[in-house]
Amino acid sequence: MSTAVTAAPTVTAPPAALSPLRQLGLVVQWQMRRRTQELPLLILLQLLIPVAVVIGYGLLVGDAGPVAGLYLATGAPVITLVTVGLVGTPQFVSQSRTEGSLDWMRTLPVPRTLFLLADLAVWTLVAMPGMVTGVIVGAWRFDVDLAPTWWVVPAALLVALTAAAVGYALATMMSPPLAMLMSQVLVFVVLLFTPISFPAERMPDWAQQMHTWLPLEPMAQAIRSGLASNDFDMPGRSWVVLAVWCAAAVLGARWALNRRH
Amino acid sequence: MDDVLRIRDLHKKFGRRRRVVHANAGIDLTVAAGQVLGLLGHNGAGKSTLVNQVVGLLRPDAGQIVLDGVDAVAHPEQARRLTSVQAQANVPITGLTPRTAIELVGRIRGGDTAQVRTRTSHLIDALELGEWANTQSEKVSGGVARLTAFAMAAVVPGRLVVLDEPTNDVDPVRRRLLWREIRALADDGAAVLLVTHNVREAERVVDRLVVLDNGTVLADDTPAALTQSRSGTLTLEVDMLPSVDTVPMLRLAWPEGLVVTDRGQGRATAAVPADQAAAVVAWASETLAAGRIERYALTPASLEDVYIELVGSQTTNEEIAA
Repeated sequence: MSTAVTAAPTVTAPPAALSPLRQLGLVVQWQMRRRTQELPLLILLQLLIPVAVVIGYGLLVGDAGPVAGLYLATGAPVITLVTVGLVGTPQFVSQSRTEGSLDWMRTLPVPRTLFLLADLAVWTLVAMPGMVTGVIVGAWRFDVDLAPTWWVVPAALLVALTAAAVGYALATMMSPPLAMLMSQVLVFVVLLFTPISFPAERMPDWAQQMHTWLPLEPMAQAIRSGLASNDFDMPGRSWVVLAVWCAAAVLGARWALNRRH
Repeated sequence: MDDVLRIRDLHKKFGRRRRVVHANAGIDLTVAAGQVLGLLGHNGAGKSTLVNQVVGLLRPDAGQIVLDGVDAVAHPEQARRLTSVQAQANVPITGLTPRTAIELVGRIRGGDTAQVRTRTSHLIDALELGEWANTQSEKVSGGVARLTAFAMAAVVPGRLVVLDEPTNDVDPVRRRLLWREIRALADDGAAVLLVTHNVREAERVVDRLVVLDNGTVLADDTPAALTQSRSGTLTLEVDMLPSVDTVPMLRLAWPEGLVVTDRGQGRATAAVPADQAAAVVAWASETLAAGRIERYALTPASLEDVYIELVGSQTTNEEIAA
């Protein structure tokens, strides 16, 4: 009680605006700490995804040749990044919409873009341990020679960011139950019907065509060519497709956060 | 006076065609700095819709919201810098302790770290939350979570502080402490918009009351002015025997001239002109002595009576009683 005098609130003027970077850090801190219970489990889960992909697909394929091995080893980290972004993000965002915390966060004096970036930063970071595990487990299991380049790091961040942004856009633009359903469907599409762990030529022509416009194949190409630069190249067109999806998803999510009904 | 919030002719509809609900149908209200404005109304009266438009979660169909000179409809991001909000539903803060949650929100709102820490400690002391301040929030009760949510809105208060049902789930002792802190916010210069069902307690804290019904303002005045129409009138409250409905002999012969309202659940009330008070008390004590009622009370007309008279539907009565 003795603090009453010194603790008088300053309501006569709004507080000075924070530096955006500092506010970003604080919002990231809030979101991370709110998840302290779930985060270890989530990170454990996404450490297991690449292990499961490497070992499970290995069983399906049988004795993988060097090319198949290279596809599986470089595909596992991509599947982890994409699953966390496209499946994890919408589930958490839908949950925060249902429990009302998203609406409350939207009443804070935090610019929408900054709030979105904070959330995307959290999800991009969360995906990283699984990505690294995927690379290590894949290289070990299939005994492949990887030739990582320096730009695989920014490429992995771009892939994780794009996946998280698409997931975020889904979750903010659709009703929560629909977003949850979509994210479940996406797991199957990503795991089985996307040329991530196998060459695109194995798919029917129409599916190949479709994938030239979707962000998933470019994501796989970016990581594959970044990790095994001696064997694969990243087509310039794929960079463009990836960048456009990333920008569109960020703008879409921002629009949805800004929307007033 | 220095008007912080000015709302003019605010309209907001939901739904389409035949199912249109006019949630706000031309609302005018003003909250000045240093003032606590109580917003009363039953569920669906349009209170939350009004609040959500002020903080930029909903866009009005028509009308004006001016916050500290800023057009809040055109510039919601500026309006948010000027406003702090305690939402109607508790914001989950799992993973955080009440103290970290309050401090983090204060810093996100732009408060200086040291000042935020001092102010957080003050609020924790003032609301007697010390025992739980450092407990993981999933282990605290609903009332403590509610008080934490209040502190999150009050730690770095905006020019306008919006509190939506702040006393829900809070125990009677801490409710008093909470009312004191709400009053302190206004005394320190904030404009407080308080949405509540708790007419009886709010009466002592608010400077003005706005009663909403079906999206329109039924009354806008000070508590004293609102109850004035009823001055010289008392309220008789009677708890009847449980068997009164089934045994005709027990039916009460009310004193002449009283208009009796059945509140349900064996409870009835009647407005009593002051000059009849003595006679009515004599009648009630006799009836009580004869064992035909369980309890009676004669009280001055309260704001709650005025409110019920204004809104005046059976559903509202039940809600207030609940």
